[in-house]
Amino acid sequence: MPALLPKVGMRQPKLRYSRAAIAGFLGIGVLLHLLPFYYIISTSLKPGAEVVRNPPTFIPSAITFDAWKLVLRIGDESQIVQLVKEPFWVYFANSAFITVIAVGIGLPVTALAAYANSKLQSGRGARVSFLFFIGTMMVPFVVTLVPMYLLTLNFPFTMPDAPMIPGTDTEFPTLRLWDTPWAVILPAIFVPFNFLLFKGFFDTIPNSVINAARVDGGSELNIFRRIVMPMAVPVFAVTAYMSFGSVWDNFLWQLVTLQSPEKVTMSVATYQLIERLSTAGSTGGGAAAQAEGMGDLLNSGLTWNGMMVLAILQSIPIFIAFLVCREYLLRGIKIRGLK
Amino acid sequence: MTTDIVVDDDAAAAEADTRQPTTSSRSRRRRRLWIFLGPALLLNLVWGWYPLATSFVLSFTDARLRGDVTFTGFESYERMINDPLVADAFRVSIIFAVLSIVLTFVVPIFVAILLMEMPRRTMRWMMLLWFLPLSSVGTAILWRYVYNTDYGLLQSIATGLGFDRQPFLNSSDQVLFWLVIPGLVLYGPGLIYLATLQSVPTSYYEAAEIEGAGFWRKIWTISLPRMRPVILMMLMFAVIGNLQQFEWPKLMTNGGPGGASRTAVMYVYDILNQLRYADATALSILLFVLIMLIVGIMRFAIREDPDAPPRRSLREFVTRKGDL
Repeated sequence: MPALLPKVGMRQPKLRYSRAAIAGFLGIGVLLHLLPFYYIISTSLKPGAEVVRNPPTFIPSAITFDAWKLVLRIGDESQIVQLVKEPFWVYFANSAFITVIAVGIGLPVTALAAYANSKLQSGRGARVSFLFFIGTMMVPFVVTLVPMYLLTLNFPFTMPDAPMIPGTDTEFPTLRLWDTPWAVILPAIFVPFNFLLFKGFFDTIPNSVINAARVDGGSELNIFRRIVMPMAVPVFAVTAYMSFGSVWDNFLWQLVTLQSPEKVTMSVATYQLIERLSTAGSTGGGAAAQAEGMGDLLNSGLTWNGMMVLAILQSIPIFIAFLVCREYLLRGIKIRGLK
Repeated sequence: MTTDIVVDDDAAAAEADTRQPTTSSRSRRRRRLWIFLGPALLLNLVWGWYPLATSFVLSFTDARLRGDVTFTGFESYERMINDPLVADAFRVSIIFAVLSIVLTFVVPIFVAILLMEMPRRTMRWMMLLWFLPLSSVGTAILWRYVYNTDYGLLQSIATGLGFDRQPFLNSSDQVLFWLVIPGLVLYGPGLIYLATLQSVPTSYYEAAEIEGAGFWRKIWTISLPRMRPVILMMLMFAVIGNLQQFEWPKLMTNGGPGGASRTAVMYVYDILNQLRYADATALSILLFVLIMLIVGIMRFAIREDPDAPPRRSLREFVTRKGDL
């Protein structure tokens, strides 16, 4: 605990006031931060007409679960069938599958590589592979966007079409990952920043611990599983939380690679729905079209309260990941610079 | 030395390690090393370095919809530089990044510093509440509703306070400012700052106390210098991330009104949707050059941590003896 305020004379009025002032400032910040949470939840519980009424209400006049029922029923024969093709749990399951697989494979792969780099390699080999792993970290995502998109289209080639096999008329066989969950999962497995976190931690484990285990006859994999992993729980928690959030909440890449209605994820489906709502007239277009579009939507019952339900559904997994990992988050972050 | 007792493979390897390493144990260790490193190496090669390398190649071709790809030199770059929308998109991206960093970068640093002043229990609770995450897609949807000019919450607050009706996201002058605001209450990488601060020894503060340093003085001479490498790293990430902003403009305004919030990455996405692969790549490389330029200037302009060992060249880094 650093002490910016002096420890001596803690009870002096001046010090007590400054402590209270800090607490008050932080408290206001917390309230500001929680306000969006409250507003999302309260809006999702309002009846459809109240959501588009001016002035907006801060406290719902009547609490209903209509919007929730409606969203969970999307894909039945309700009128929103033209707006969204599949029930929303399909999108939720798609997101969950992609995220769980990407994090579940990604953490062991990244951790093993960082461990090998930290403890099994040494000298020049270690430095070269370190640079190889870290070198892609600072590369902006947009640079590799197009080649990666083409790569998912014709797997080993980053071209719009696979090249011809020389001397023949046939194309090279290619693998189409595009529009499958693997197009999202495979690039998300190895994350250089996670590698950096793992490596920073493994470097702090004394070599003598590992050597002692080797003398006792542990195989490298067993040493990693039984000795290193229990020590590294906080780092695993941090990396799990961060990569979970980044895969679940990813938008651009999933928008580019997923298209079939039954394969898109929550974030993409939510975007498509909100775009259709707005082209139906809730935010753009002429006044008449707007009124008409709103009327249709109001009849179907889906307005902003339904969108808030989607926003909540989108947030809940990240929320749970945060609460599960909370104990370890502070202990697990130890970044060693790239010196 | 040979024995005819059959021992466990790994035990033998470990035993061999403690004595003279034999060729077989060395090759076994090497094999194990590759098993550990292999998957990550392969993935980073295929999804990291390979697209990066081909990105440069693609930008010099005429790759589009289908058909043969031929090299056309700088044609796609020329086309992109002469496209008036590109200049607009870059301007939007730069303004967005500047606004976002100016408005949202400093707050989490001070929040983390002040949080450390709270008693342990209070700090743990406040930390949970401060950094409780909200999905960024969800945030965008919420704010799109809050910014609604007819029945949004902010409109009613503005009119309630006696202002005129505000256009918010519908005004091409203000749209970028309003797009940045939601980031204010998200508190970015505050957790990372908090973790860094926790590793600062209390004795530093006590020593400063004895020297007569006050509240601000301690922040300025102890907390901030200790956080400096992490702050610089996060600043770098913030610059790189904000110049590539896509999600919030896409979800909140879809580039409107009239392209006033169409960022560079959104334009890359639009061009990609028209299947003009070479043009999209050329544009993204232009953005890459801009980002690297800014990052380079930052690294050059900001004095390194005085405690850090002198910076080494890449070549020195690889060939130096001793540990990493």
